Amino acid sequence: MLRYGDPQIAIGIVFAVLALLIAAAFIVIGVQAGSDVSFERVHRVGYWLRKRWLALLLVLGVLVFGISLFDLPYASGSGSGRTVVKVTGGQFFWSLVPAQVPAGTKVRFDVTSVDVNHGFGLYDPHGHLIGSVQAMPGYHNELDLTLAQAGVYRIRCLELCGLNHSTMESTFTVTRP
Amino acid sequence: MEASAATPTSAVMHPRAAVFTVEARSIERRIGLLFAVSGLALVLLMGLLGIVMRLTQATVIGLSPGWFYRILTLHGAGMLTGVLLVMMGALWYVLHQTVPLRAGRMLAAYALIMVGALAVLVATLIGGFGAGWTFLPPLPFYPAGQWSTWSESAFFVGLLLVDAGFFVYCLDVLEQTTNRYGGLVRTLGWQFLRGREQTAPPPQAIAATVVAIDGLLSSAVATAILAGLLGRTYDRSVGIDALVAKNLVYFFGHSMANLTIYLAAGAVYVLIPRYAGRPYETTKVFVAGWAGSLVFIATAYSHHLYMDFVQPTWADVISEAASYGALIPVAVITIYSMTMLVWGSRFRWTLASLLLYVGLAGWAIGGVGAVIDSLIPINFRFHNTDWVVAHFHTYLILCVVVWCFAFLAHLLERNADRTTSRAGRAWTVSLILVGGYGLTGTWFLAGVLGVPRRYAVQPPGTSGYSLAGSIFALLLALGFLLLCLQLIPLARGAWERRHYALVERTDSWTGGHYTARVSRDGAGEPAELEALPAAGLPYASPPQLALGAALCVVGLAAFFPQVVDASEASIRFHHLDHAGHFFFGVALGLLLGSLPAVSRRLGRRPTLGLATVIAAPTVMMLLMVPRFYEPLERHPFEHALFHLAMAAFGLATGLAATRLGRVTGLLVAFLAVGMCVMFAAAMT
Repeated sequence: MLRYGDPQIAIGIVFAVLALLIAAAFIVIGVQAGSDVSFERVHRVGYWLRKRWLALLLVLGVLVFGISLFDLPYASGSGSGRTVVKVTGGQFFWSLVPAQVPAGTKVRFDVTSVDVNHGFGLYDPHGHLIGSVQAMPGYHNELDLTLAQAGVYRIRCLELCGLNHSTMESTFTVTRP
Repeated sequence: MEASAATPTSAVMHPRAAVFTVEARSIERRIGLLFAVSGLALVLLMGLLGIVMRLTQATVIGLSPGWFYRILTLHGAGMLTGVLLVMMGALWYVLHQTVPLRAGRMLAAYALIMVGALAVLVATLIGGFGAGWTFLPPLPFYPAGQWSTWSESAFFVGLLLVDAGFFVYCLDVLEQTTNRYGGLVRTLGWQFLRGREQTAPPPQAIAATVVAIDGLLSSAVATAILAGLLGRTYDRSVGIDALVAKNLVYFFGHSMANLTIYLAAGAVYVLIPRYAGRPYETTKVFVAGWAGSLVFIATAYSHHLYMDFVQPTWADVISEAASYGALIPVAVITIYSMTMLVWGSRFRWTLASLLLYVGLAGWAIGGVGAVIDSLIPINFRFHNTDWVVAHFHTYLILCVVVWCFAFLAHLLERNADRTTSRAGRAWTVSLILVGGYGLTGTWFLAGVLGVPRRYAVQPPGTSGYSLAGSIFALLLALGFLLLCLQLIPLARGAWERRHYALVERTDSWTGGHYTARVSRDGAGEPAELEALPAAGLPYASPPQLALGAALCVVGLAAFFPQVVDASEASIRFHHLDHAGHFFFGVALGLLLGSLPAVSRRLGRRPTLGLATVIAAPTVMMLLMVPRFYEPLERHPFEHALFHLAMAAFGLATGLAATRLGRVTGLLVAFLAVGMCVMFAAAMT
C-alpha cells in the first residue's frame, strides 16, 4: 500500500499554492484585458515591475540552488563502515545480497543490471517512496542510506524495462537490532 | 515588425492590429493549414490512445501489458510528432512573412515526417514494438517476446525520418534567417544587444533561429544514436554503452519535446499582438533572454540522468542550474511580456485568442511543476513517478496542444472573418480546463504518493486515481470535441470567403440587380518573397583558407599507421579513427568547396547539398558496424580502401556543406563530424 510521503506532501502543497497564485494572476489579467489603459502606462509600470520580478526569480534561484547542493543524494567516500548490499536488476526480478540488515545500519546499495535499465525505487514499511537510483547494465550506482525503521521495505522498478515492468517488485527486510 | 502590406480591418482582430499585421499569402495559409490539420489529426488520435491507457490503469479496460506498452510507445512518439508538425507550420506561417523560407523544403520536411510517423505506427501496432518513445538502449534489443527485429528497425527508421524532416526544416530556417538578416550574430540580435546597431530582427526571427540551432544539434544527436541502434539490428555483435546512449537519447528527446513549446513561442509573439492591438518588438532584454534559452535548451537535458549516479556530478549540477535558468526567459520575457500586451488592451476575445491566453497559464503552471522536479534532492523522491507525467502533460496539453488548436482557429477565423459564439467558447474552454487540470491533478497527487509512471498495472490501492483521471480525461476529450465542432463552421466560412466573393451585378437583359458568387484569383496578396541564395563560403579569406588547410593536415593523422594500429585496441578507438577519416574528408571538402574556382564549377545546388549532408554521414555510420568492415580488414588494401571510403563520405559532406552558405555550412559540417564521434562513444 502506498502512502503520501512527508516531504512529498510539503512539495505538493507548495506547488498547489504556486499554481493557484498563477491561476489567480491570469484571472485578474484576463478581467483587466477588457479595460483601456494606454500602452505607455502599461510599459512604464510593467517594466518597473518586471525588473523586480526578475530580481525575485534570481534570488529565489540562487537560494534554492544553493540549498539543494547541501542535500545531494550521491554516495561519496569509500563506503567503509557501511554494509554493502549488492542489488542486481534483470527482466523482471531484483536480487539483493544480503536481503536483510538490522535497523540503524548504514547501508550502501551497489546497484547494477544484467540486461536493460531498471529503476531501484525503495518504499519504506509505511509505503513512502524514500528514494531511487537507476540500475544500468555495465555500471554500478551507489546509494547510501541509513534505514532506521524496522520492517519490510518494498522495491519497485522505476524505469520502463519491458513487458512486466509494473510487476517487477521485491522486498528488503530491516530487522530490530 | 514589418507592415509592407497591412491587412484590411478585420472583424476578429484588434482594430489597431491592422497597422502592423501583414496580409497572409496563400502559400502561408496552405502550408499552415496542411501542418495544422495533419498534426492535430495525429494529436487527437494519440489523445484517444492516452484515454485508453488511463482506463486500463483504472481497470475499466482489460488491455494486456504487451498492448499497453506498444500504445504507450506510439502515444509518446505520435503526440510529439503531431505537436511538432503543428508548431513547425505555425512558426513557418509567421516567419515566412518576412523571411523567404522555401515551400519546397517545407513540403519535403512534411513528407519525411509523415512517412516516419507511418513507420512508427507500423512498428508499434503491427510489429508490437513497446520500448517507449525514449527507447532507452539496450531495451529495444530485449523484447521479452513482444517484438521482432524488423519492428525495431521500422521504429528506428521512422524516428530517423521524423528527425530528418525536422533537420530539413531547421536548416532552411537557419539558412534563410541568417541570409536575410546578415549573419548569425546579427540574426540573433547580438549586434543590437551590444549597441552596435539600432534595429534587430523581429522576435519571431530570433526565436526561430534559436530553435533552428538547437533543433539541428538535437537532430544530429538523434541521428548518431539511431544510426547506431539501427546498425545493432543487423549486427548483434555491436555493444552499447548504456550511459553514453542514455545521454544521447535524452539530449535528443528532451530537446525535441522542449523545442515544440519554443517553436510555439515564436508564433505566439505574432499572434497575441493581433488580438491585443499592440505590436511586440525586439528589445535588448528579449535578445538576452533568447541567448540564454539557446544555452539552457541544450544543457538542461541531464536532469533526466540525476538518478544515474555514475553520471558526473558536475553535469547534474549544471543541468540543475540550466533547468532553473530556462525558467527565467520564459517567465520574465515570454509569459510576462505577453500578459503586458494583454493588460488594458481592450483585448479581442475570440476562440483563438482565448486559447492562446489559456495556453500561457498552462506553460507557467506546468513549468513550475517541472522546475520543482528539476531540483536534485526533490527528484530523488519524484524521479519516474507520476509527478513527471503530471508536469509535462500540464504544459503539453494545456499549453502546446491548446496552442495547436489556437493556431488552426486563428487561420480559420482570419479567413472566415468571424469567430464562434461566446457561449460555445465558454463551454469549450471550461471543459478543457476542468478536464485538463483535473487529469494532471490526479497525476500530481499520484506523484506525491510515489506511484511509478509507465505502469500497465497500477500498484494496489491506487487505481482510484486512474479512474478519477479517466473521468477528467473524458471531459477533456469532450472539450476538444466541442472545439472541433466549432471549427467546422469556421472552416466552411473560411473556404467560402477565400474562394468566392459576393458581388452585385446587373442583368444585361432585364436590367435587374442580383448577387453573384465569383471566384477569387488571389489578387491583392503581398508579392512572394524570393528565396535568398546561400550567403558566403565557409572559408572566405586567405587566413580562413589557411585554417582550413591546417585542419586537413590534422585530419591526416587519422591515416598514420601508428594511429591506425593504436585504434585496434578497442572498438571504440577503432570507430573514433573512422570518425577521424571522416573528419579529414569533411575538412578537405570545406577547403576545396570554398575555393572560388571550385565553387563556381560546383554551382549553387542547395537541394543537392542539403540531401548530401543528411545522407552521407548517415550512410557512413550505418556502414560502421563490424559485420561490414571486419572482413575487409583482413586484407591491408581493402582495409585502406575502407578508410578512404570513410574519408570520401566526409569529402561529399564537406563539399555539400559549402553549398549551404557560411553559417549553415560550417554548423552542418561540425555536426556531421560530431555525429560520428558520438557514434564512436556510444557503440562498443
